[in-house]
Amino acid sequence: MNQTAVSPHIFRAYDIRGIYNEDIDPTLFYKIGLAAGTYLQKNLKGKTMTAGADIRCSSPTLLHSFVSGVLATGANITMTGITSFGQTLFNGCKQNDDLISFVTASHLPAEWNGIKFYYGDGVGLPTEELNKIRDNVLDDSFELKGFDGIGQIRSVEPTQPYIDFFKDHFSYSKKLNVAVDCGGASMTLSAPHVMKALGVDVSEVFCTPNPLFSDRPSEPKPDNLSALIDTISRDGCDFGVAFDGDGDRSVIIDDRGVALSSDETGILLGKYGFSKHEGVVIVNVECSKAVSEQLTPLGFSVKQIPVGHTHLTLHAKKECSPLGIESSGHLILPNYFLFDDALIVPLKIAEILDESEQSLSELRRDIPIYPLSKKEIKCPDDLKFEVIEKLKVQLQKEYDDVNTMDGIRVNEEQGWSLIRASNTSPIIRVTTEADDKISLEQISSHFVELTQKLVESMQD
Amino acid sequence: MTQLFGTNGIRGIIGEDMSSGFAHDIGRAWGSYLQKTQSSPHLAIATDARLSNQMIKSALISGLLSTGVDVTDCGLAPTPALQYAVHTSDEFSGGIIITASHNPPEFNGIKGVDESGTELTKTTEEEIEKHYFSKDFHTADWKSLGKYCINSSIIDRYIDAIIESVDVDLIAKQKFHVVLDCGNGAGSVATPALLKKLGCKVTELNCIADGTFPAHPSEPLPENLSELIETVPKVKADVGVAQDGDADRAIFVDHTGTYLWGDKTLSVVAEYLTKDSPNQTVATPVTTSSCLADVVAANNCTLITTKVGSPIVAREMIKHKCIFGGEENGGLIFPSLHYCRDSAMSIAVLLEIMAKSQKSLKDLVLQIPVYEMFKTKMPCPNEKKRPLMDAVKKQLKTDPSIIRIDETDGIKFYLETGWVLMRPSGTEPLFRIYSEAKDARTAKDLARAYQSLASDLISQL
Repeated sequence: MNQTAVSPHIFRAYDIRGIYNEDIDPTLFYKIGLAAGTYLQKNLKGKTMTAGADIRCSSPTLLHSFVSGVLATGANITMTGITSFGQTLFNGCKQNDDLISFVTASHLPAEWNGIKFYYGDGVGLPTEELNKIRDNVLDDSFELKGFDGIGQIRSVEPTQPYIDFFKDHFSYSKKLNVAVDCGGASMTLSAPHVMKALGVDVSEVFCTPNPLFSDRPSEPKPDNLSALIDTISRDGCDFGVAFDGDGDRSVIIDDRGVALSSDETGILLGKYGFSKHEGVVIVNVECSKAVSEQLTPLGFSVKQIPVGHTHLTLHAKKECSPLGIESSGHLILPNYFLFDDALIVPLKIAEILDESEQSLSELRRDIPIYPLSKKEIKCPDDLKFEVIEKLKVQLQKEYDDVNTMDGIRVNEEQGWSLIRASNTSPIIRVTTEADDKISLEQISSHFVELTQKLVESMQD
Repeated sequence: MTQLFGTNGIRGIIGEDMSSGFAHDIGRAWGSYLQKTQSSPHLAIATDARLSNQMIKSALISGLLSTGVDVTDCGLAPTPALQYAVHTSDEFSGGIIITASHNPPEFNGIKGVDESGTELTKTTEEEIEKHYFSKDFHTADWKSLGKYCINSSIIDRYIDAIIESVDVDLIAKQKFHVVLDCGNGAGSVATPALLKKLGCKVTELNCIADGTFPAHPSEPLPENLSELIETVPKVKADVGVAQDGDADRAIFVDHTGTYLWGDKTLSVVAEYLTKDSPNQTVATPVTTSSCLADVVAANNCTLITTKVGSPIVAREMIKHKCIFGGEENGGLIFPSLHYCRDSAMSIAVLLEIMAKSQKSLKDLVLQIPVYEMFKTKMPCPNEKKRPLMDAVKKQLKTDPSIIRIDETDGIKFYLETGWVLMRPSGTEPLFRIYSEAKDARTAKDLARAYQSLASDLISQL
């Protein structure tokens, strides 16, 4: 294929992403296929990779060139085709393949695409492993096979085994009515079908495939979900759910049309979704202190981890966690599977409501919502990490409870603040949560000023 | 003159001149050509059973989709099944088959058909090559990329179409016992099912698709079919049949285990189809034995000779509205189904002939006039091919023993005792000489005589 210059910026911490025809094209994906196939055999000593793709317009061409590259290295492919994220991950884990690949750009606009990699058990590839694939691409380090060593494709039907799995694990005695907003994206291929198979009354919102994502932006922010909120009130739904482009994140809307934060949803799952409250709940450093406040007294212990959904699956596996919460919307329930298939969330919420006398808006009433502030401080890329390092030393001396696994989280009596450099922009973010607005203002302004001053002094 | 496409599409060895990168660029070139000539191009794609198929197919599909061409993936299928699907569907504006036919397993190839299911014309192939060599690729924006879908029903539809083309009840009544050797090729996924639907008892040899071709090389030559030749009389079967790698050609073995060259079956079928249909036309390349000409003439029909190459025969058949045609290598073309070589259809029709005539294939072949052919070749550098041809022609025109000259492909001339065909090889630095006569000795003498003429002429150049 053509030798095109590869922009290294497409290789991110947990995936590869870019705009089609600008940053990425089939030629590059062929190389990524060669690189991933070589990595699979050389580093993982594996032989078989699952491959699937989300519903984007550019997915078929990128998936096929990627697969062609993998086959050229002699690795075999289990092909799931165009599916939701969960369908491919589920089938990959079921086949016990050595690596699972999924062509997607998650929630990004429709002209974007990319690829994510998972181990065969559903744990995301950590950055240092993904970098090995990246280096193979950048160095043209591929091992090709002759005609008798070329890999073969085995196609699997991705839908029925997936539906059967959920039928084995969920059954509802009440007739629940759930509004489902797939935004015309990949979840149109699975979520409504699974829910209907479980006997749920589905009020469909944008459940017809629309790879242009012209129904609504694929990021399921509450601002983008007015159609879903209207449907909940029109149809008197028990709750609503909206998914992102590939289906690894969901947002739950209660029966009154109010969105739950990821932390709130996580707390509800922890409180009502388990018969035994034991084990380590994994949360990232951006999560609300409400998670620990609500779940620790029940018997769970709560462990903070760095930001990024790959850490979620990695730590959940290590700790044998029953629950993982990422503030960005990734929630995992590893009793079912480790990967972050967002479909598990509404199914579990439905189960909770099925067993409860209360509505979702009533259940969430007990969960405190603390005021939150997010501030951004401009800081040149070459300086931002140095600023964080200096602050670390200073704050660890000044405060008793400082967590430095990902940025600096300072925990105080009335709240906490997280100071963290953005991985992608020349920005340092200061996120603060406190019991009340006055404390929030105090804590936030303190750390914002502190950071600001340090940035200024270091620029002089 | 095409550089990539040969007589039957593009062929190459994996890792040498055939790779996924090459296939991807061919997909882009092909798609770019289609975008220029069609409003909403949509190709059907199938493969034979080769080990490198999935890799080549994926790369090709990616290239096509990137130009905005829609693709339907029909999976592993005989070449004629894909051709039939394209021919009968309004959806498809053409098709591609990933196959290297009878070549060894390290080969693969890419062959195209137009919306009628017939192989592409040379002009189209040249246009695709122009895009390939100039890297003039159409790049569709993300919204207009091609769509991909899977169709796994083309084989069933193809089998049904063949069943409808013959007298299935009559054939089934005979309860024929057929030994079928698919050579582990693409026929494996269709022909056993067809024969069962025709009510035959089937003894299957190598009917599991396997791109390593573990049983024998996939060219159905006598030396590759010893298992079939031994099995037919051993199991007391009525007939044996072998298909090549992509199942467009069939070679038959009679109940005694005698291997029948393709010109025999060609003539048996021509006799059957022309017998009660005078004034019809049949087509075959200049290389075919005169036995076909005799049969066609005896039934008051016309035989058209064409250049070598099944796509050319098919196109001439369309032009002249032929009722039948084919090559002496077992590639038979039945316009009642479609204009392409079709081994499964050949099997069905031959069984129908046996059923209707109540004769064995051996007896049917005995009715065909016997000729002996002799083939030889001599080295000839590429640059001397043209001058040698001119010199030969000049010489022959002064030769009083020559009754008729046919310049369709090379130069074929008829004498009292038989005919001689002299033609330069299209791919190698060779000059081929074929001859045919009523007996082997005369055929050989003829070839030798004109070989020495050519040798003299080449030394004078």
